[in-house]
Amino acid sequence: MRSFKLPALVAAMLLVSASLVFAGPTYDRVMKSKVVRAGISNQGVPFGFIDENNEWTGFDMDMAKEIAKRLNVKLEPTVVNNNTRISFLQTDPPKVDMVLSNMTHKRVRDEKIDFSITYFFDGQKFLARKGKVKDIKDLTKMKVGSMQGTTSIINAEAYLKKLGNPNPKVIGYDGEVAMFEALRSGRVQAITTDSTILLGYAAKMPGQFELVGDFISDEPYGIGLPQDDSAWRDAINFTLQDIWKDGTYEKIYNKWFGPDSKYPFPLTSKIEMWP
Amino acid sequence: MLKRYFEKEWVQNAALLTLLGLVVYYFGFHFEFKYDFDWAILYKETPYGFMSDLLINGLNLTVTISLYSAILALGLGTLFGLARLSKFKPVYWFATCYVELFRNTPLLIQLFFWNFALPYAFPEEIRARLFELDFEFWVIVGGLGIFTGAFMAEIIRSGIQSVPKGLLEASYSSGLSFGQTLRRIILPLAFREIIPPLGSEFLNNMKNSSLAMTIGVADVFWAINEITSLTYHSFEALTIGTVIYTSLSLLIAGFMNLVNAKLKIVPRGQENLTRKAADLLFAPFGMVYSRVSRTKRRIARRRAASKTISPAERLAQLFWKGFTLAARGAFLLFLCLLLYKTATALLGFNWEVIAKNFKSLLIWRFPKGGETEFCYGLGGLAVSVLMAVISITGSFLIGLFVGMGRTSRFKFIRIPCTAYIELIRANPLLIVITWVYFLIPVMFKFELKAFWAGTWALTVFFGAYIAEIVRAGIQNVPPGQVEAAKSTGLSYFQTMRKIVLPQALKQMLPALVGMFIADFKDTSLIYIIGVMDLTRAAYAINNRIMMYPFEIYTTVAFLYFVCSYCMSKYATHLERKLSPEQVRLDM
Repeated sequence: MRSFKLPALVAAMLLVSASLVFAGPTYDRVMKSKVVRAGISNQGVPFGFIDENNEWTGFDMDMAKEIAKRLNVKLEPTVVNNNTRISFLQTDPPKVDMVLSNMTHKRVRDEKIDFSITYFFDGQKFLARKGKVKDIKDLTKMKVGSMQGTTSIINAEAYLKKLGNPNPKVIGYDGEVAMFEALRSGRVQAITTDSTILLGYAAKMPGQFELVGDFISDEPYGIGLPQDDSAWRDAINFTLQDIWKDGTYEKIYNKWFGPDSKYPFPLTSKIEMWP
Repeated sequence: MLKRYFEKEWVQNAALLTLLGLVVYYFGFHFEFKYDFDWAILYKETPYGFMSDLLINGLNLTVTISLYSAILALGLGTLFGLARLSKFKPVYWFATCYVELFRNTPLLIQLFFWNFALPYAFPEEIRARLFELDFEFWVIVGGLGIFTGAFMAEIIRSGIQSVPKGLLEASYSSGLSFGQTLRRIILPLAFREIIPPLGSEFLNNMKNSSLAMTIGVADVFWAINEITSLTYHSFEALTIGTVIYTSLSLLIAGFMNLVNAKLKIVPRGQENLTRKAADLLFAPFGMVYSRVSRTKRRIARRRAASKTISPAERLAQLFWKGFTLAARGAFLLFLCLLLYKTATALLGFNWEVIAKNFKSLLIWRFPKGGETEFCYGLGGLAVSVLMAVISITGSFLIGLFVGMGRTSRFKFIRIPCTAYIELIRANPLLIVITWVYFLIPVMFKFELKAFWAGTWALTVFFGAYIAEIVRAGIQNVPPGQVEAAKSTGLSYFQTMRKIVLPQALKQMLPALVGMFIADFKDTSLIYIIGVMDLTRAAYAINNRIMMYPFEIYTTVAFLYFVCSYCMSKYATHLERKLSPEQVRLDM
């Protein structure tokens, strides 16, 4: 009898840790299990971050909650970062059913996973200490930081090259926090990524930092979805349009980016609507 | 009957081949991966340039960091290892504090502290100057060197103290002075004792350099992540990373094997091939050494010939005495200054911030979390401890069986066990975590939550280390006992359970507690997959407040330290109970 104890313990550990997932298309799976797993960042202020009460909130989180509510399922948020937000959808079975992680809809990405319609419009900018950048050309002489695992580095290097720096080098930090910390402590003089994230972090120390220059790229955000799963993609797209149609989108948007919020960012575009 | 059948060579080879064949068959034909492999991304040009450039740069940095920090660690280790044996108490205290502090806190927290908190100790101009000099690179080199140095100091100290008491008594009673005993008896013996564990520290140092990624230094692990996020081919990137780390580890291990072969005392004419290769490799060093020692001997002979001490020599002696006195004074002054600085820094802390966030650091938001969160939002220290306890239990079981398997007579058990141990030990924990979190669930088609993935990664990782401890323990049991057990008719498992393991486990206990401490500290690395452990909680809180990195990282380091230090005290207590003899080097 004694010799059975150890294997039994191991088996129990396995059982606790692993739960079988239902195979099959995402839509059926979500509807059957009544749980939608959403990949959301936890350090992208104000899209997905941890607030004063240690609650995980943000624009993406609110959107995910709304989608789950309308699909009548429970939301199970999973932490993703810039490196994992695509691969979590690529695996079979996918580790998450959708990814809302301020992810730009790009063609190279669309070859690997599918995207919903654009649900947020952003662009890349630079953030620097107030008054440090008088002319945009000043950036060429500065140390510039960004985030590893995003295309911000490549965009910025191309932009700096255009401004006249023959060999630009943009440092890729591990996540938003490290990037902003680098700017704050003076490791770099400017950081660059999507402007709303820059706004989100600049609002932590009001009056000290400013956005400089124009948008250097367009960053339309889409919800990342598993490849070739059109029923699920339709469900998400229809839900997004419903959220827009009855004004809930604006409510959520104004909560985070409205004129009275910490990160004012005017809503200029309209999401794609299908009659 | 069956057993005798298994002992035949061809049966074992056939069993091995069948095992291999089954694995190949399952993954080659039966298993549906649903993932299009594209190894070409590693060498062909992609929209974002050549990925191979990233890897080569990463490899270059990993090697540079490992080399620099190893040299620093060796220097610090020797210095503090000797200082731990000093009779001058302040030096001893200082060295002890260094060793205990850095051995009992996770490397990741140390790096965060150096990188995020330390710069704020300097005024702005100096800080700006610092950042111009590739600050992150030097943080990882310095941080790694200091961390590994603390381990090396302990190895060097225990190596020197391991010299048998009888030898020392003999040398003192035959009239040798302390200096002579040190040079002729202690050091040559201690050297042989020190080198093998020192080698594995070099290996650990290389593997730990993978943490460079967390502070933004583009080493191999950084390159793997970058390739994953640019090309979305995580499997290929991770595989090439594993290959790189494994080959680096094998290189270092091979070199250390040569060194060990050189150190072994072999009768002339019986050298094997490894020894011959080692002799060839180290010949230049041997030549230099013999030249130097010959010159030294000549000087010593000349000095012995003259009966009186020359005035110059007397002056030199006097000067030396004065110098040591002055050095002691200066050291005391330095210590006072350090204490004063630490005290003022501690007094200047914003204790309110610590008090406000202390509960979060301990349990995060435990009862208030939603149902979908892990254990209602449990996190912080509680999760770290929980994970360490679960994973060490699991790895003990794995280690027990795999360690026994490695000593098995049967090839088809021994070879897979050895492969598991060596493969895991050759790779950094970060790589193992990524494999387990990412690819194992895909390969075996089940879902694994981040907490459990982390726990499994730690289990598998430390299982390999404990297997080695178990193997050593089993091999330490005198073979006569096993023979006796066998001849009284006990089966293999009976022998193991009733004779070998009870003795071996008792001897292994201190090492096992040491592994538990290492496991507990390494739970901090789980932060990369987003588990809210103590490190991640600290990171999140620091991210939110931004103003008080010193306070937060010191508190976290303190929490880790208290837990690990208590355990390591327990380990020394055990060790003392098992071998009560304490050796004093000078009598």
